[in-house]
Amino acid sequence: MSSDLTINSTGARQKRPSLLQKLVSRALARNLSCLIVPGPEVALAHGLDIRAAGLRISTTPRDASVLMIVGDISEKMCDAVAVLYAQMPRPRAILLVGGQTPSTLPGADISSGLSQDQLTEAVGRLERAFADGAFVDSPEEFDSSVLHARIEYVCPMHPEVVEDEPGSCPKCGMDLVAREAGESTPDHEHHHDHEHHRHEHEHYHDQEQQSHHDHEHHHDHQHHHDHKHQHGESDDHSEHEHSGHDHGEHDHSGHDHEEHDHGGHDHGASGFMSMIEVTKDLPRSADGLQMDWLEVPFGPVFPGLPGGLKLTLTLDGDGVTEGQATSLVGMATEGEGSEESQESEGSQESEEMDADTFIEHLASAIPLAPVSYRLLACLAIEQAAGLSDDQATTQARNSALERERIASHLGWLAQSGRQLGFAWLTQRASTLQLKVRDAGRDRIAELEPELRTLGTRLERTPLLKSRLKGIGVLPVDSSDLRGPVARAAEDGGDAWARLWQRLDEIAASLELLKSGEEPELPVLRDIGNASGTGKATVDTPRGEARLSLKLEHGKVKSYKLDTACSHHIDLVPKLVEGQELGDALLAVGSLDLSPWEVIS
Amino acid sequence: MTVAIVLLALLGSAWLLAVIEGWMTTGRLSPAAPLYSGLAHLGRESIVPRSPDRVFFEAAPVLLLVVAVLGMAVLPLAPDLIIADLGTGALFINAALAYVLVAVIMAGWGPDGAYAMIGGWRFLGQLIAYSMLIVMPITAVAMRAESLVNTAIVSSQAGLWNIVYQPLGFVLFFIAAMALAFRAPFDLPTAEGDLGGGVDAEYTGVRLAVLRLARLTLVVTLASATTVFYLGGWHGPLFPPWAWSLVKTLAVAVSMLLVGRYLPRIREADLMRWCWILGIPLALVNIIIVGLLILVVP
Repeated sequence: MSSDLTINSTGARQKRPSLLQKLVSRALARNLSCLIVPGPEVALAHGLDIRAAGLRISTTPRDASVLMIVGDISEKMCDAVAVLYAQMPRPRAILLVGGQTPSTLPGADISSGLSQDQLTEAVGRLERAFADGAFVDSPEEFDSSVLHARIEYVCPMHPEVVEDEPGSCPKCGMDLVAREAGESTPDHEHHHDHEHHRHEHEHYHDQEQQSHHDHEHHHDHQHHHDHKHQHGESDDHSEHEHSGHDHGEHDHSGHDHEEHDHGGHDHGASGFMSMIEVTKDLPRSADGLQMDWLEVPFGPVFPGLPGGLKLTLTLDGDGVTEGQATSLVGMATEGEGSEESQESEGSQESEEMDADTFIEHLASAIPLAPVSYRLLACLAIEQAAGLSDDQATTQARNSALERERIASHLGWLAQSGRQLGFAWLTQRASTLQLKVRDAGRDRIAELEPELRTLGTRLERTPLLKSRLKGIGVLPVDSSDLRGPVARAAEDGGDAWARLWQRLDEIAASLELLKSGEEPELPVLRDIGNASGTGKATVDTPRGEARLSLKLEHGKVKSYKLDTACSHHIDLVPKLVEGQELGDALLAVGSLDLSPWEVIS
Repeated sequence: MTVAIVLLALLGSAWLLAVIEGWMTTGRLSPAAPLYSGLAHLGRESIVPRSPDRVFFEAAPVLLLVVAVLGMAVLPLAPDLIIADLGTGALFINAALAYVLVAVIMAGWGPDGAYAMIGGWRFLGQLIAYSMLIVMPITAVAMRAESLVNTAIVSSQAGLWNIVYQPLGFVLFFIAAMALAFRAPFDLPTAEGDLGGGVDAEYTGVRLAVLRLARLTLVVTLASATTVFYLGGWHGPLFPPWAWSLVKTLAVAVSMLLVGRYLPRIREADLMRWCWILGIPLALVNIIIVGLLILVVP
């Protein structure tokens, strides 16, 4: 075995003399589970079969020993990725599949291309790296600026009083409350929390405690109050710091729904904690109960949501009082040759893009539906160049589009299975998706019976209808609905209707493929040095996408893109409000949002 | 000696169950997999969250394991193969299993994380749904045996297993047992799609290994309880009594794991509604039917 295969020193564990170490290393190598960033659906869309490559898919960083990054990830995701890596127990490794190392991470341990063979080979190297190098003499601390937060101290009564040191307010003499810098009271962004597990920043055994703790102990009211109890009112905050009980005051700075921050101080002296006193200043939920409201982030890497989508929900108990969704991987929908600053995935140096480069750029920016956007770009450019339609090419392209629709809907089914804890559905749908995505017409015809039984099976699945019926009903006045979401709106407009809409579309696409041409990836026809403006519309798997662009001498000068998902994402706050947590997540899931297609 | 044999049987069943579970998820039947997986957990760092309730965090997995083993202690594998044949065995099971709730809430509270905490409280709601459906079917079983002694309950089924005598009770108990073991589709406290692992989410390394073992052991214990109460325990032709107990227990345990693969997770509100509006009346009907049968059939 080659000894050069070891894992990064920020990922390895302290070596201890032990007879078992060798055996444990081998066990580790045989039990690699990976957390996929941005998400398993992206790996599937790229045609990667993770299990066949020898990795188990883990849903949480705590249970993962490999951080697998598929494709290039956006700047906004980099922070989240660093937090994920920090949360993984050592020994841990980074596996890059077809992308660059994110700036916030140490170098990748193993890199691989975006193909199944390369992945399998990389997993083999990874196993050797774990067997040989999981334990090293001097592991390093993984430190990233993302993991630090600056603490500032504010007066609960006078928001304008902000100090760098703990102390008392010059105006009213109250103890200053610690909070994270940049976490301002009026908005909900105080969590700075990039992904789901980051409720606390654990310090590792082999790591020094960070000098600046950060704290998202917002949820822990009980703690908070108990705490006050023990320390009494005269409690000094600097002492707080030293003793490490940092889950105090600053939690509340975020709970701005009402001014209850300082409420806890009142009953500090008494020995008895009355529930009424504890809750008296807390916000009141819809059911009249007063309780702590937590603002909890879901995503951008969360098993129940598409990777790259960050959902921030304000929870009272497990009910959602409000929520909003943002995309961390959204693409630029308007590109102006000269001002490329909007470009979210690495701005382009060139002033204008070559037509072919533009097509590649667009297709690779949207990993969940690359064919649709390739087609969209081709159509718009060809129209701008004044080329007329060619019957055969159009048919072949449409076949490719329909094939992608089937694959995309299967991917959504697999994702729904993950969300619903429905293992059979995930396995079945993802297997089929891998088979369909680059299959020819004959192969798809062979797969047709399997695809059709999927619907029959789902119809017969107990609990499924009661789980989905009435969930995620769209508001009556919803506008700008497109694609399956729009078509299902007439049919009740709930998650159940959307499931059946997509299953029906799979069946319809199968019919179209039968009568159509052999699917062929859209390739730009020769446009020469043409100039002009072009407009195109493609019915992507998630709904209509529109692109208009300006072509000058064969180069794309500027473009404007309008996608279904950037409208659908606005539905999220209305869909989640007042719902139980599980229902809210299902409602969001049923929209089939592709964060890649959201305007940033 | 008996203690050692029962514990060994428990551990062996948990191991077999882990192998079968691995088979279902990966498609490979690998007898050594649980061993390697356990070793790998030992090799991983066991992270303590930043400001945990240390006692709760550390105690929860151990408590869950203890509860499962305690439950097993009063369940007979064979007429003589029982750690403690208590006079109130059937009641003791209830008492022991009540601590599953305590362990899960501790695991939810301990790490000081929102997902875990919601998961823990969700299980409290789940208890309100399933607990009556554990107790009431057991009542009907004890009525037939005219005893709370578990060995007597098995003996009472010598002629006719309870699954035939009171099928309704069996169905209710089986469902409630799955909810108690929080396996899919009742995995609300750990729901990956909703809570990213919930109460399991913050455990790593050795602690996670204990937690996983505890959860498997709990399934075995509940399957064993189902065997004792409904499947005639050690009764069966040809093979020795203990073999029958083990085979039946494993069959029940595997079916518990299998069902979850083919079902979506239940809504908590639905679980609660069905258990109370449908489950409890049915359990009462079961008790009445069994009572009548006892009176009418000599």
